[in-house]
Amino acid sequence: MLRTTLAGLRLHTSRYVTTVLAILLGVMFVSGTMVFADTLNANYEESVMGSAGSVDAIATPAEAETGEDGAHAGPEPLTADDLAGIRALPEVAEADGLVRGQAVLLDADGRALGFTPPAAVSIEGASRFDAGRGELPSTGDEIALATSTAEQSGFGVGDTVTVLGPDREEHEFEVTGLVNFGVDPSFGISGAVVFAPDTVEEMTGATGYSEIDAIAAEGYTDEQVADAVSGVLGSSADVSTGEEYGLEMAEGVGAQTEIFRVALLLFAFIAMFVAGIVIYNTFAILIAQRQRELALLRCVGAKRSQVFRSVLLESAVVGLVASALGVLAGVGIGVAGAALAAPAMGADGGVPVVVTQAAVLTGLGVGTVVTVLSAMVPALRATRVAPLAALRTSTTASGIEKGTGWFRVVFGLVTFAVAGGLVALTQISGPTQMGLVVVTAAALVSFTGVVVLGPLLVRWIVRLVGLPLRRVGVASMLAVDNSVRSPRRAATAMIALTVGATLITGYSVVSASTESTLNRMLEEQFPVDYQITPQFSMEEPTGAQDASTAEGGDDAASAPGEGADAVADTGTPEFGFVPEQVRRDLEDEPSVGAVFGQRGGYVEDEEHGLISLVAFTGARMGVDLAMGTVEGDLSDAGPGRIALVEGHADGVRVGDTYTLANGDAVVDLEVAAIVEPGAQVFHGYLHEDDLAALFPDVTRDEAVLVRGAQDADPAELREAVYGAVEDDPTLQVMSVAEIKEQFSDIMDIAFYTITAMLGLAIVIAVFGISNTMALSVLERTRESALLRALGLARGQLRRMLSVEAVLLCLIGAGIGIVLGVVFGWAAAASVLPGLVFSLPAGQIAVFIAVAVLAGLLASILPGRRAAGTSITGALASE
Amino acid sequence: MTASSVQPVPSATAPPVVVARGLTKTYDTGGSQVHALAGVDVDFHRGAFTAIMGPSGSGKSTLMHCLAGLDVPTSGTVHLGRTQITGLRDGELTLLRRDRIGFIFQSFNLLPMLTAEQNILLPSQIARRKVDRQRFDHIIDVVGLRDRLGHLPAKLSGGQQQRVAVARALLNAPEVVYADEPTGNLDSRSGAEILSFLRDSAEDLDQTIVMVTHDPVAASYADRVVFLRDGRLVDEVTDPDPELVSARLLKLEA
Repeated sequence: MLRTTLAGLRLHTSRYVTTVLAILLGVMFVSGTMVFADTLNANYEESVMGSAGSVDAIATPAEAETGEDGAHAGPEPLTADDLAGIRALPEVAEADGLVRGQAVLLDADGRALGFTPPAAVSIEGASRFDAGRGELPSTGDEIALATSTAEQSGFGVGDTVTVLGPDREEHEFEVTGLVNFGVDPSFGISGAVVFAPDTVEEMTGATGYSEIDAIAAEGYTDEQVADAVSGVLGSSADVSTGEEYGLEMAEGVGAQTEIFRVALLLFAFIAMFVAGIVIYNTFAILIAQRQRELALLRCVGAKRSQVFRSVLLESAVVGLVASALGVLAGVGIGVAGAALAAPAMGADGGVPVVVTQAAVLTGLGVGTVVTVLSAMVPALRATRVAPLAALRTSTTASGIEKGTGWFRVVFGLVTFAVAGGLVALTQISGPTQMGLVVVTAAALVSFTGVVVLGPLLVRWIVRLVGLPLRRVGVASMLAVDNSVRSPRRAATAMIALTVGATLITGYSVVSASTESTLNRMLEEQFPVDYQITPQFSMEEPTGAQDASTAEGGDDAASAPGEGADAVADTGTPEFGFVPEQVRRDLEDEPSVGAVFGQRGGYVEDEEHGLISLVAFTGARMGVDLAMGTVEGDLSDAGPGRIALVEGHADGVRVGDTYTLANGDAVVDLEVAAIVEPGAQVFHGYLHEDDLAALFPDVTRDEAVLVRGAQDADPAELREAVYGAVEDDPTLQVMSVAEIKEQFSDIMDIAFYTITAMLGLAIVIAVFGISNTMALSVLERTRESALLRALGLARGQLRRMLSVEAVLLCLIGAGIGIVLGVVFGWAAAASVLPGLVFSLPAGQIAVFIAVAVLAGLLASILPGRRAAGTSITGALASE
Repeated sequence: MTASSVQPVPSATAPPVVVARGLTKTYDTGGSQVHALAGVDVDFHRGAFTAIMGPSGSGKSTLMHCLAGLDVPTSGTVHLGRTQITGLRDGELTLLRRDRIGFIFQSFNLLPMLTAEQNILLPSQIARRKVDRQRFDHIIDVVGLRDRLGHLPAKLSGGQQQRVAVARALLNAPEVVYADEPTGNLDSRSGAEILSFLRDSAEDLDQTIVMVTHDPVAASYADRVVFLRDGRLVDEVTDPDPELVSARLLKLEA
């Protein structure tokens, strides 16, 4: 039996080519992901360990108690005495401290670089960092840049750069070297500049050490050194060996790669799922075609179980071979991916490939198991072939499938009804956290419906689309008839494509709708053209004010709370602010229509929890700044009144009195309106006078919003805005157009990435369609010959197959697009309040074009085979 | 060579519709050469119903395929009317088959997804030719398919399916109809019906028909029977009856 199976496989190798390709691609994705993630991980680990392992002990100031809201008090830095104590230890050969502050680096245009100023540090002697290129700075007019900062600013060794001192005065430095801080998260976001040891204190006002690195004296282990250092510093510092420190950091960045791995594996799962559908269809068709062969086996005495095992064995061999090839391809892809992506992800240098046993075994296992499982149902079907079938004339060629049962129709319609009900439920209940889960469940349910109703859908749609197609010519007429000959087969082939099409369309709808929703929110709530904010500081003041950074979460340009000069006024925490002068300058400009200030504060009490409050100075609520109201009228908000955001109102109604207290300051306000929760994170909108009463310290604007005058020349307005901030390079100017553009760019990148990932599933599905076509052509060899004998030209025969494949692809993509639009909308609406639905017509048109192209591609090989067959040979062979 | 050539029956008026001269067909099968046709000269006249007979492997199917432009002879020429079809390219042959030749095969004659009517009209549709409704109606009535036109082939009996194939071959009034064992898969009553249709259409519609068969009874419906052995024409009978044909055939195989 085994020999028969293997002989059969050898004979029909060509029939498995596309199936093998489908499995191969899926496995390639799985193994490639593993190799990629493992390699990247190893790379991170190496770079982290390499830097941390170069010293024997690392002491960092102990973290103070962490506050409830995640904010932490700045740790007390280590002192010169600490360093002296460590240096005096017999275990320590060498020890040096790292002074860390932050300094504003100006870019080539003279504006502050980045949303946050880079860290400013000194590196000397014993340190886990070293100059990657050039020299570390040794004099007061030299500087080294972190490689990430150099990349961002475009500065290189030999350039002269300007850094602002503690009093905002400009200092010039010559770049002498570049330092790679690697993946160290504390330098990751902000970047860093490196000064000579004395200069860093001058430039930043920072004192003390944020880290002390020590190197062991001869004869002492790193653990002994760490213990000794710990003895000197006591509880004021966390001390670990260089290796421990590195491992800890590696774990942190490793977690990032794990997220990455899981995300990629999710896409790999989708690809494998689609491959499973393709495999199932291939085996189902092959079994149908081999009915007589199987019956003959039964005739000569093979048992049902032997037939079953034979088919499964066949699938196992195919699966194993394809998976092995897939693993090989996956290693290649993983290596290429790691080499390409590593620099972008902070890992550098040569990438040693990491191929773990797990990557190989997972690939082999997943591929083989999916193949065997997919072949299970066809194998069972094979056992039902009666021995008598061997004696009947060929049933395959005449194979017009029987009609679809009522059960299918009812079941399918019920699934659609259930899915519809679930979606309706999420829309009625409004945005909740469960919404997305429910919508996903609904999508799965209706997908089941599509699978069950697939054959019928194919028949209905073909009947509809066929009406005009029949008139086009005999080739398309025959194609229309052919495509409904085995609706089940066609439906399975098409559903493989539907999976990918649904996901891509769904995501594109979510993406487009999110973008248009946020754009509208920006336009409605902030009908301004420019926003001016101070540079965001990493040196956070203590206390509840920290939470104001959350403002940046939804809207990258919203005013971050902390001020650029918080560093200068060390000790007294204060909101960052936009100088009054800027606002006054702007108000004098003819091209500027209106200028609003934004200032805010936080109140925390037992009754309401943490409440963020904001006032827009100089703006008329409901006129200059609009929001959807649930109750009341926003324009009623004025002195003594507050507008509360729904969800934070806690049952308070319009007209009620709302009391806020901040220390001694207590304000009683009347609720003027309840507004819809928008993208903003504020909880209540006050009049500036009430805000001033509540927060006497808050006297300045943390952001300034500028609206152009009607008919103002955009260039003039831009000039006016930049002119106003000229004296203060740290102020960040953002035009709303830029915000939209940036947001749009981010959405686009996400869309293209996800599309590329799902693209593989589409490719696999197209292989499946091509395979289905090829096997059908094989089945219809005599038919093709008959058509040729009756005068159908080769071109017409090929066109017939093309039309059939395109029809199949279009139906698959079409159903996918419909599902994607419906559930994309439902998903977005279940998450985003006030969704502005946007149909990405352009993208959908591209999908349709791709589907047509995919159909044409899928029909190339089958078409060639059909047209190339000799007429007399095909007619003669029974 | 002379022994294998048989003088055609002289026709009173027109030149022959199909003329083959010196046809040979050689297959290479792993070193040894097989001569399927070893020099055949044969003519077929308008309105004649000719049967080609011979034992298995005598080359009768190959001869028909070469005459019909389905296969390319190794040497020799075939003319259909004034057109020399040997040497035509595939595209031209396709047009020739489409417009000037009709086919009836032993089995698998119809496309399973098309109804009887669609199958009959298929060649006209491929050629984008206007259908002569009068001729269509006449043929449908003669073959008795009027109430079966909307059926799919799967719903028709073997005899009915073959009648559909005959109607399809005759509808265009092609210059010649080639029938390859048209009754091979049918019971004797259905077979007799089909053969009667073919003979009647040759007589009534002046249709030229060439039929390959190994059944002496089928051959006896023809006006003329030519015998093939080892790729050569070796004998010929006009106005045959089954006994005569059987006797000649037995003699050939002996």
